[in-house]
Amino acid sequence: MANKEKITRHSPLVRLIHWSVVFSTFTLILSGMFQLPLAKRYFIDQIPGLTWSSNYRVTVMLHYIAALVLLSAVSFHVVYHLIRKEFNLLPRKGDLRESYLIIKSMFGFGEEPKSDKYLAEQRLAYVYMAFSFFLIIVTGIIKIIKNLPSVTLSDGFLDWTTNIHNLATFMIIFGIIAHLGAFVIKANWPLLPSMFTGKVDLEYVKHRHSKWYEKLQK
Amino acid sequence: MSNISRRSFLKRTIAAGTVSGMILSGTNKFALASQRNLDQVGTFIDLTKCDGCKERDVPVCVSTCRTKNKSKFPQPIENIQNYWPQKKKEDWSDKKDLTKRLTPYNWTFVQNVKVDGKEISIPRRCMHCDNPPCANLCPFSAQEKTPEGPVVIDPNVCFGGAKCRDVCPWGIPARQAGVGLYLKVAPKFAGGGVMYKCDLCYDLVKAGQQPACVEACPNGAIFFGSKEEMLKMAYERAEKIKGFVYGDKENGGTSTFYVSPVSFEKIHEQLEKQKSKQPNPDAPGFPTMPVNAGNFLDTANGVAAAVLLAPVATAFAAGISAYRTMKGEGDE
Repeated sequence: MANKEKITRHSPLVRLIHWSVVFSTFTLILSGMFQLPLAKRYFIDQIPGLTWSSNYRVTVMLHYIAALVLLSAVSFHVVYHLIRKEFNLLPRKGDLRESYLIIKSMFGFGEEPKSDKYLAEQRLAYVYMAFSFFLIIVTGIIKIIKNLPSVTLSDGFLDWTTNIHNLATFMIIFGIIAHLGAFVIKANWPLLPSMFTGKVDLEYVKHRHSKWYEKLQK
Repeated sequence: MSNISRRSFLKRTIAAGTVSGMILSGTNKFALASQRNLDQVGTFIDLTKCDGCKERDVPVCVSTCRTKNKSKFPQPIENIQNYWPQKKKEDWSDKKDLTKRLTPYNWTFVQNVKVDGKEISIPRRCMHCDNPPCANLCPFSAQEKTPEGPVVIDPNVCFGGAKCRDVCPWGIPARQAGVGLYLKVAPKFAGGGVMYKCDLCYDLVKAGQQPACVEACPNGAIFFGSKEEMLKMAYERAEKIKGFVYGDKENGGTSTFYVSPVSFEKIHEQLEKQKSKQPNPDAPGFPTMPVNAGNFLDTANGVAAAVLLAPVATAFAAGISAYRTMKGEGDE
């Protein structure tokens, strides 16, 4: 195993951004849930180490600080890959059909189509997540601005903002479940180490991501 | 990757910056709406004129408020459930007659204190703050700072979590269980009823009339008009009697201005003593008068600029990193 040849899939910078998004998003979900009056009602603040959970002063600040990290990471991600013209994660024509073929082959029907650096379903999942994050970030920024003393926004506009923010939260939670759920499938296991070490097995790449492998050979 | 020229680097940086800038500043046009608070209304309560209607069982402002708002009072279901897993609920439906504290059935009341030999009566209710944390922090936007100034709760949206009461420096909104939207969702597990408080008779204000308590006060102790005018009157009155103003600075500014001949620190002290003698001293509904009470969102607003500007800084960092790595790869 140790001698297996590896290939770099994610640079340290990309991994740093990914994990910044992970930690800030989990903190945001948690501190956001604690904006609802549930920590006190459900005795969560009685759990050692979680006494702060019912303190809105703490959870609001936590939400703001985690938002700072998320916004910074997303901004870095967008600008960095735009300048480098790296659009591997954007969907392509035929991705819906290709995703269907990949999933079908996982159940033993038909052969899996050759993939590029990312699988078709990963590209579709990326768009879903990007859209969800776009919604939550835009509405979150409006909510921050609305809290400032000099700003009063119309009630109808804020109703929409709040509802979209709450809806996008559930879209993201669903997305995370699907993202992690993908690793229940054995065929996807070789991809898992790449978000920790940055590397994947060369043999796996040759076999499954042959389009990417061909590009790397050029 | 091949070398990129300085020009194409700049071009791509601007393109990337524009996209992220659009994402980040897409809300600027809405921020201008803040100009509208010029026409807001307010009240000035002259505590040298209020005598708490001592000859009556219930002060006139209180009884008038109760009559005026009766149709808006909660009509809860029978057999209201506890807030599971807690073994309690906030049910005031059998205490509708209480007039000496705030309840869902009593949106204003009068406190009486004796300070420096002077008897002071203080009508209490929502202060209708300039930047109300209750409305800002409601998870469902059930509360609104209206363009006219009053802060109102929408009883059809409110879930009764009572967060508004927790973030209010005076703990004004009062909760009634067994009523509202939560009953239609998962009443055992989430929600607690509806929050009720003074809406400054918003319907009357919109119709160009005065709030009921202002109209009814037999001593003419409560004045109603444009907020600017009320503030001016309050400070003029305070200067004349060498008195004190409450409500201008508190919670970042409100639209209710009290003027008293004695300091509000001393009034607050007396109210604290009275509160400690209440049947349940920790319960909200008996507000004190903390001088210069801060706004719940002060700390968060202090970091707001950092939250909004950090992504601009990282966009630049991303530009530089991208440029360096591309150059680096090109050089290899």
